[in-house]
Amino acid sequence: MPLLSSVTSPAKHEMRQLWSGEVDDWATCLAWSNDALTCAVGAASGIVKLFDGRTGTALKTLDAHPGGVLDIAFSPSKRVLATAGQDGVAKLWNGETGALLATLPGKSGWVEHLAWSPDGKTIATAAGKTVRLWTLRGDPVVETEEHESTVMGVAFSRKGAELATACYGGIRVFKLGTGKSKHFPWKGSLVSLAWSPDSRVIACGAQDCSIHFWRLPSGKDSFMQGYRNKPKALAWSMDSTLLATSGESIVTVWDFKGNGPEGSEPIMLSAHVDMITHLSFRSSGTLLASGSKDSGVIVWDPRKSKEPLAYAFLREEISSVAFRPNHDEIVAIDAAGSVACWALTKS
Amino acid sequence: MTTIDSTQRIPVTVLTGFLGAGKTTLLNRILTENHGRRIAVIENEFGEIGIDQGLVIQADEEIFEMNNGCICCTVRGDLIRILGNLAKRRDKFDRVIVETTGMADPGPVAQTFFVDEEISAQFVLDGIVTLVDAKHVSAHIDESDECKEQIAFGDVILLNKTDLVSESDLERVEKRIQGMNAMAEIHRTVTASVPLATVLDLGGFDLDRALEKKPTFLDPEYPFEASSIYKLPAGKSELLLADGPDATMDVALLAIAGDDSDDRKNAVETALRIFSTDPKRVRTQESLVPEATLYRIDLTKPGTKTFVLDIPLAGHYALVTQHLPTEFALSLWHDGKLVSPTAQDTFAAAHSHDDTVTSVGIHTDEPIDRAKLETWMSQLLREKGTDIFRMKGIINIAEEDERFVMQGVHMLLDTQADRPWAEQKRASDLVFIGRNLNRAELTEGFLQCRS
Repeated sequence: MPLLSSVTSPAKHEMRQLWSGEVDDWATCLAWSNDALTCAVGAASGIVKLFDGRTGTALKTLDAHPGGVLDIAFSPSKRVLATAGQDGVAKLWNGETGALLATLPGKSGWVEHLAWSPDGKTIATAAGKTVRLWTLRGDPVVETEEHESTVMGVAFSRKGAELATACYGGIRVFKLGTGKSKHFPWKGSLVSLAWSPDSRVIACGAQDCSIHFWRLPSGKDSFMQGYRNKPKALAWSMDSTLLATSGESIVTVWDFKGNGPEGSEPIMLSAHVDMITHLSFRSSGTLLASGSKDSGVIVWDPRKSKEPLAYAFLREEISSVAFRPNHDEIVAIDAAGSVACWALTKS
Repeated sequence: MTTIDSTQRIPVTVLTGFLGAGKTTLLNRILTENHGRRIAVIENEFGEIGIDQGLVIQADEEIFEMNNGCICCTVRGDLIRILGNLAKRRDKFDRVIVETTGMADPGPVAQTFFVDEEISAQFVLDGIVTLVDAKHVSAHIDESDECKEQIAFGDVILLNKTDLVSESDLERVEKRIQGMNAMAEIHRTVTASVPLATVLDLGGFDLDRALEKKPTFLDPEYPFEASSIYKLPAGKSELLLADGPDATMDVALLAIAGDDSDDRKNAVETALRIFSTDPKRVRTQESLVPEATLYRIDLTKPGTKTFVLDIPLAGHYALVTQHLPTEFALSLWHDGKLVSPTAQDTFAAAHSHDDTVTSVGIHTDEPIDRAKLETWMSQLLREKGTDIFRMKGIINIAEEDERFVMQGVHMLLDTQADRPWAEQKRASDLVFIGRNLNRAELTEGFLQCRS
């Protein structure tokens, strides 16, 4: 079992497990439905399994993507589940019945990233150098020109009027419905993208161990160096003031309040003993969850303390963590196919 | 907690070589002949012909340069992405083969396994296999930096389609390749047909094996190209040569104890001294004796030329020749019977081509001071890393029980303690492959690290 550096800290407690489940291979991706009733887990075997968010009862197993599931996302308004995989397609499913609604082919290669527009009417799928947009029913809307390289991240703006993509050579912001796009070049390769919920900042992790971010609409950019590895894990707090980043065992949190974060010291959260693989903020407040190769899940409140609030373990490398919407609960999945839900609060 | 040690990492073999050199043929051969190995193939989008079977993923080569402009940090983005995902379905395969496009620079491919921690934690570069087309490779070397780099990076080089060229052309091209990359194992093939063990499970690198097979590579600049060992009876034997490319050839004849590797090494040492003396001219029908004499045999007369070897005592003799015996169809006869060599070593010719890509090997038996070595190495790679393609070494560090192994790609250096020396003779061997290498400077720099 991994040892946390200060298990005796009184503030920290091991979280109580509410339910657990499993998938048949490396669990690769995780999504909650907005009503917190369904938790969907994708696996490297290609299946998607739906769990009852309250009890953990396995509801459905979908044969989704031979070769492996790469991304998964519930639509925000209706319970449509989108999945993407190595079979080169994305699929839309009825999130309750598991009925297949539509198959959305990518232009080439694996479909690696998904993003729903905030109104839930449009879904973006990124495969190779192209991003395609589809309606909720799976009708094609439009596709982007080919990017310079494989698209590494895709996100909608808060109001859904714009779409951002990241790849080698910079980011692009498309003004939907106008045919216009703006390229913010940067000579380097971006490996992840996270758009702040207030749409003011696009942050990207870069292969050369830095974070690059652009302020919109000006396009003024900055970058933060000093990471030991590429900071692939990124997460914004819902109030857009905190950007959590990591590619190592430490979580580095940049504070965007006031004039920051340029010229400021980041908040460094240290307790994991191996590389952090995923970060996620709660949809209200500033609670942050980190999952690591050390098989641990840690919950932090970086605004209040650098010490962990709570922790839990699965069996192997954590691949994803997600707070249960509107509940004091959190789910994590791991490389052994474990799925578990814990209560954040004590007792 | 899962810990990943090197033995658990998935081996990756890189197949490189020009279009038409036979990469896809070899790949299909590996997939077909392979029994029990589960192989995932990452193939470039411009594959020559289809792959028959296996898990094949098509990839567009995406070269990710860094903002800082450092070529040593350049990686293959597509490999990072694909391998990262493949690692998650690890139980379904146990080896990866990456086929590059013909014009690919192998540097970024190799660097990906050093630079990217996500990849290096899960995958290990098992070896780079370079295929070259025997007929066209010389022209490719002259014309293309990529071809030079593909040869320089190869752990194994398959000199393919040998049926399309003459033996003497083959000798020439093989020597040229060896001069560029003295560390590589070179195999001659017709349809890329080699035992799988030749190209798979190379174990990262095995300098021991390279040393064992090619003592020559420590100093490719010998003034002779071959040392042939004969077991000769006392009396006169006849040395016959046909017409060849040169009007004279320098030859030394030495008595040696036997034909094992130590005897042969001693012969090379002695021959080196003899070849530094003034040659004595001999004409056809004249005699050569096994003394410390360098003979310059006259080959101007057309047709077969005969020289006499005057052997005082039966035993093993080394005939050390400036050129390869095959270039003159050299043969040795005693009492009307052909005598075949019991062993033969060949040496890359000195400056046979003015190639900018070369190998420099350095050897010393004296122990090396680790701190001095690290200081020298870090400065060297900082200043010359761009021109040093690859570096490998097994180092005898003073007062350490274990062998110290080093492997580098451009500025990236991986060093670690290896197995104990135990019974093995302690010695350091270091090899550089690169562009415009300064042999004297490198040798002196390394020797100054002696403790």
